[in-house]
Formats: sequence, C-alpha cells, structure tokens
Amino acid sequence: MQTRLFTKARRAWLVALGAIIAAGLLAPVGAQAATPAGCAALKEKYPDWKGKTLVNAINPHTPGYESIDPKDPSKYVGFDIDLGEAIGDCLGFKLTYKPVTFAALLTTLASGQADIVISDIYATKERAKAADFITYSKVFDGVLVAKGNPKGINGINLSMCGAAAAENTGYVEVPLIQDLGPQCKAAGKPEPTLQLYDNNANCIQAILAGRADTYVNDVNTVDQAVKAYPDKLEKAIAVTIPYSVGIAVPKDKPKFRDAVMAALIEVQKAGIHQELLKKWELDPANFKEPDILTAD
Amino acid sequence: MSLFLHYLSMPYLLMGIELTLQVTALGLIGGLLLGIILAGMQLSRFWLLAAIARGYTVIFRGTPLILQMVFAYDALPHIGIKLPAVLAAGLALACNEAPFIAEMLRSGVLGVDRGQLLAGQALGMTPGVLMRRIIAPQAIRTMIPAFGNEAVSALKNSSLASVIAVQELTLRSTQLASSTFDFFSIFFASGLIYLVLTGAISVIQLALEWLLDLDRTTKPRGLADYLPWRRVDLTPKPEQANKAAPPEAPELKETPPLALSIEDRARRAATVARNNVAVEVKHLRKAYDGNKVLDGLDITVRIGEVVALLGPSGSGKSTLLRCINHLENWDAGEIRVGGRKLGFDEQGRKLSPRAIANERANVGVGMVFQQFNLFGHLTAKENVAGPLRWVHGMGRFEAERRALELLERVGLSHRADALPRHLSGGQQQRVAIARALAPNPSVLLLDEPTSALDPELVNEVLEVIRRLAIDDGLTMIISTHQIRFADEVADRVAFLNGGVILEQGPAHEVLTNPRHPLTARFLSVMEAERPKDAVA
Repeated sequence: MQTRLFTKARRAWLVALGAIIAAGLLAPVGAQAATPAGCAALKEKYPDWKGKTLVNAINPHTPGYESIDPKDPSKYVGFDIDLGEAIGDCLGFKLTYKPVTFAALLTTLASGQADIVISDIYATKERAKAADFITYSKVFDGVLVAKGNPKGINGINLSMCGAAAAENTGYVEVPLIQDLGPQCKAAGKPEPTLQLYDNNANCIQAILAGRADTYVNDVNTVDQAVKAYPDKLEKAIAVTIPYSVGIAVPKDKPKFRDAVMAALIEVQKAGIHQELLKKWELDPANFKEPDILTAD
Repeated sequence: MSLFLHYLSMPYLLMGIELTLQVTALGLIGGLLLGIILAGMQLSRFWLLAAIARGYTVIFRGTPLILQMVFAYDALPHIGIKLPAVLAAGLALACNEAPFIAEMLRSGVLGVDRGQLLAGQALGMTPGVLMRRIIAPQAIRTMIPAFGNEAVSALKNSSLASVIAVQELTLRSTQLASSTFDFFSIFFASGLIYLVLTGAISVIQLALEWLLDLDRTTKPRGLADYLPWRRVDLTPKPEQANKAAPPEAPELKETPPLALSIEDRARRAATVARNNVAVEVKHLRKAYDGNKVLDGLDITVRIGEVVALLGPSGSGKSTLLRCINHLENWDAGEIRVGGRKLGFDEQGRKLSPRAIANERANVGVGMVFQQFNLFGHLTAKENVAGPLRWVHGMGRFEAERRALELLERVGLSHRADALPRHLSGGQQQRVAIARALAPNPSVLLLDEPTSALDPELVNEVLEVIRRLAIDDGLTMIISTHQIRFADEVADRVAFLNGGVILEQGPAHEVLTNPRHPLTARFLSVMEAERPKDAVA
C-alpha cells in the first residue's frame, strides 16, 4: 500500500512538473527529460556518434549563450550549451568543452582539436571557407555605449564616425565598422577607430575605462552588460545584421553535418529550442529553422 | 576586499595553478633537455651541427611564443601530430625556452677559466670527464641566477597557453571575469597567486645558491653533497686542518739551498748521459696564422735530466712544452715520449680528442702552468685526488692518501681543505705541482712556474722544484726567466730564439760563458733586470 501511495504521489508530482514545463518555467529539466521521439530513428540512421564524447570548442565569454557557471565554475552554462546537449542527446553523444578565443574557434575545429563549434558564431560566406554551418538563430545586435550615450551613437552608421569601437578579433562587426571609414570620409567626418580584444569582458572593460565609445555585439550580450553595470552602461539601439548564427562542423564530414541538422530539426519540433530561449531570457524572435551554409 | 578573498580561495582558480605548473615544468624540463642538446651542438667541433643549432635559435628565439603555441596546437594536427593541449603548450614553451637556456649553458661553459680546462687536459681528462668534473660544477653555480630568471619567465609565459584552451590560471580568470563581471577582484586574486608562485621560485633559487656556495663555513650534509660531482669527506679529519694552524706555519723546513758542487754536477752529467731518452723532439714546426713559432726545432731529453729553456718571450718555449704534452697540434715533425710517437695510433692515423686524452694519461707527462690553473671549485686535496680517481681509476681512499702525501711533500698538508682562492699564489703553485706529480709522471713540464708570483713567494716554489730535481731525480723541462735558478737546478740549458735552439749545453757553462751573441745579450739583460733579492 505504502509503495503504491508513494508511486501515486510521485506520479502526481511528475504531472505537476510536466505542467510547469509546459508553462515554460522550468524548461531545462524538460529539455533533459524528454528526448524527442524522432531521435530514436536518427540514432539508427546515424549510429556513428552514439556513445561518443565529442569536443565542443567555445568562446565562453558570452553569458546567456556560453560562460562558466558563476556558482560552479567547473561547468559551462548557457543557451548554446543546452542546445548542443539537446542535439547530442538526440544523436547519443556527450559533449566536453574546449575554451578558446573567438578568433581560434574555427582553427581549432579545422585542426581536429574540436569536433563541433556551438558558440554564438555568425555564419558568413567567409567563415564557411573554414567550416560548414547549420544556422539556427537570427541575429540582432545591440549597440553598447556609456551611460547617457555621450557620442550619440545609433547604429553602425555615420553616427559612429570619429568614435572608438571595441570589438572582438574575428567578429563580423569588424568589417562592417571598417567599411564605415570611406563613408565617414566622404561625409567629411573622421573615420571610426577599432580596438580589437579577444573576449567580451575586455570589450566591456574598454568602455568602462573610457577607452572605447561603443561595442556592437549580440543584443543579449549587450543586455547582460547593461544589467551588470546599470549605472555606467546602456544599450543605444538594436540593429539587425544580415547573418544567422550557426553551428560549425568540419567541412570534410558532411554526414555529421546532416546528422546534426536532422537532430536540430527534431529538437525544434519538440519545442525544446523555444523553451531554451525562454529559459535564458532570449528573444523568441531569434528562433530560426535550420539551413546549411557552405562555401560553395 | 571580500570578493577578492573569495576569488583568492576559490577552488576553481586554485586548480588552475596545477595546470600552470604543469605547463611551466614541461617547458623548463623540455627546454633544459633541448637546450643541452643545442648548446652541445653550438660548441661542437662539427660546423654543420653548430649551423643547425644556430638556425633553430634564430627561428625559435625570433618568433613570439603565442604563435608557437598556436602552431603546436593547431598546425601540428595537420601533419598527424595531435597533442593534448597541455602537451602542445609544454612543447611550444620548451621549444621557446631551449635557445635561451642553451645560451645560458653556453656562456656558463665558456665562462669557466680556460686555464683550468688546459690543466684538466694536461692531466689526461677526456672531454667527457672535463665537462662532468670541471666545467659543469663551476658553470652550474654561475648559471643558477640566470636559470631562476628563466624559470620565472617560463611561469609567466605559461599564461599564453590560455589561447590554446589549457585551463590554467589565466584562462580560468578571464572566463570567470566574463561570467561574473567581477573583473578586478578576479585579476588581483590571480595576480597574487602568480606572485606567490614566482616568489617560491626565487626562494628556491636563493636556497640553491646558498647550498652550492663553496665558501659556506658550516657544512651540514646538504643537497650539495648529493650532487653527482660532489665528494663527501668520509675520513675523520684532524682538527688542526683549517685556521687553527699556526699562522704561516713552517711549511718548508729551512734547509740550506741545495746546490751541487762541480764534482756532483760532473757525476750527474755522466749518469744522465747513460740513461735512456725520455723526450725526443725532431724537426718540430708550428705556425699560428703564418707566424712561425717553432721552426724545425730538435731537442732530446734523457731520463733524470733537468733542462731549462731560456729565451725571450715569443721564442717558442711555451709552445714547445704544450706540444710535448700534445695540448697543441703541430704542423710537421715528430715528438716521442718514452719512445712512443705522440698524436697517432699504431696505424699512423690521427687521434681523436678523447684518444689524445687517454694517450696523455698513459704516456705520463705532467704539466705545471704559469697561472697555476687549479680547479677553483675543489679543495687543494681534491685538486690532487680528483684527477687520480677520474683519469687513473684510483680508489677513493688510495687517491686521498696519495694527495695528502703529496701535499705534505710540498709543505701544504695543513691547507688540504682550503679552496684555491684562499691560498697564496705560491701555495697554489705548490698544489699545482703536487697535482702534476700525483700520477707519477715520467716527465714534468713547467711553464714559467714562478712568473706570476710576487717576488717574496718565488722561493718557496723554486725550493720544491729544486728538491724534485736533486732528491727525486725527476725528468723536467722548465721554461724560466730565473737564470740563477736554472744554473742551480738544470743539468742543461737550451736557449731558444725564433723557434729554434740557438745554443745549448751544460747549464753552468752556457750561463757563464755563452757562445752565441744573442744568448749573451739576453743573459746580460736578464741579469740587469733581476731584482737583487728575488733568488736566494
């Protein structure tokens, strides 16, 4: 009797939990609890990675997407981390992480020191020369400035002429800001200057220290920075950038690329992608159905 | 402040220390091994090896470590070498440290007094023994501060491993800063951790310097005693050994200067004339860069004979002596010692440096240098006993007994445990003579043995040599400027000029009645310059 009572109680609890998950309040548990139904078939179709442990190269300086857990620094947490594990769960592999600079993400993949890159990296034609991408998210950039926006910057446009912009080495914003040079000149204004760092924290510090006027990056990163220093920083504006965020996989492994893409579709179908966006307080508008981007 | 302490004690950061130390250790140990190879190649006789080492140094000293790290991590996998991150970082750091360590080693080796190397060679040490027993112990002592510097810089450089995903202190700090935004607390904490680590290296460096300090008076059995080249004195030593000895003890008994009467001389000359030939030099020629130093020189020395070489500077005296000991090669001519032709094996092939060393030890030619050339890191006793063990394979106790016996003979048994730098010039030269005598040489060469001495110290050395000649009947060739001494001690005097012997004959005869005008002029100049009291 007792056991049954217990079981009943547990079942009830599970039901309640399910309800909460459905409400999207405790998405991570949901993400881990339910492997999408179609995944069993995928494991049959792509058995090569079942039971394996793959290496995910990340640039863990983007709280919300990927960073170490401040409460337990031995773990990496964030949207990309959860999404990668959901895909791994679907195909039957586990992930370990290799923290590298942003500019080294694709080199690390190409050298074979990593198997996959899920690190908020924008998929561009340029980068597709080094890796194949499975895109999964739209890009919204935010413009981070000092409180009060003293230079009146409102996007990657002529308002940035003469300003100092902090960026990460290898970011797609770098060429966009560089392209402003001739435009500013034509308008009779000084060109913007670029300061290149190797992680978000250094870019944010550059604004705090008064070295840089702005830092244009993923809107969520910008929001996190404003949250951390509400008295000193603010988000000037959000701009759209014509890219998608992508998962990078080696060029010479099309089968792996297809498997990841298929798994991502399953994960999205099961609603896990949307749940994770909510869990990490990201804009649901980021959601994007996957495409493949290659160099050719 | 509390945040700073929080991060300072955070296990996540502290665990980074382990990887930092791993990378540093790999870099230093690997760098040392590679550095030894590089330094060896650079000092090698073979130009190709030296050139390869040079090329390596240019590349790895001339490119940034961060590139080397990325290369080891990201480029090597393309040729099939996929190292784990820590190993890749260690490899890059080792390759980068190697040229710097090689330069330290090279300067340490080159910094060892050339004279000591010459003395070691003259004692028959092979290049290997010379390196192990003479060069390395002295070079290592001088290199410790530089090595400490290098260790500190390697530790700091290990932070560059953060670019290739080694979870060491710096990478952990930056990741933590990114996720918590506590930028400064974290970097102060990791900075302090680095300071503690580099501070520890400095402490180790100072401790090593102290342990290896030869002048340390109290000598508890310490680390230095376990080093391979260190010999621990196992015999109980009488306490009178060091400073307790009466000041300037009667080192040499005050005997009247030994001088031979004319009859004695005649008798000696007759005996010597019947003896076998000890050293035979035929048509010896040698030039330095086209400057003729020896120009077809001939000389024969019989067993028991004492020959004094006189002549102006540059007349070839020293070169002749060095050739007889094969410390120098010659261009033409032949040298035989005890009937054995030097420098060639039975098939007439030229000998390697190692074989020449063995030949020297076997033939038995001892040499005493103008500058004494005692081994600076060894006590007087070890200067004598060491070569007996290393070159002649004598046992520890036997070598020590022989050393003490010889030091006694030169009147220095009370200074047996003193380092050369604590001995006067005269005492040093007497130790050098004891050292040269230790293996019982058949011929003793003395190259201006008193020229570097203060006038008041000349006599004690001449007295020792005099006894060797008259009491022991040792075969000796002495180059000297002490005319009176030559007269007293030598059986024969040979006057050198321009690389040939101008005049030779019974000592007293040549010195009092020179036939060649150049000899006469030289003698009169020497006589005029001689300090009145220099020779008793």
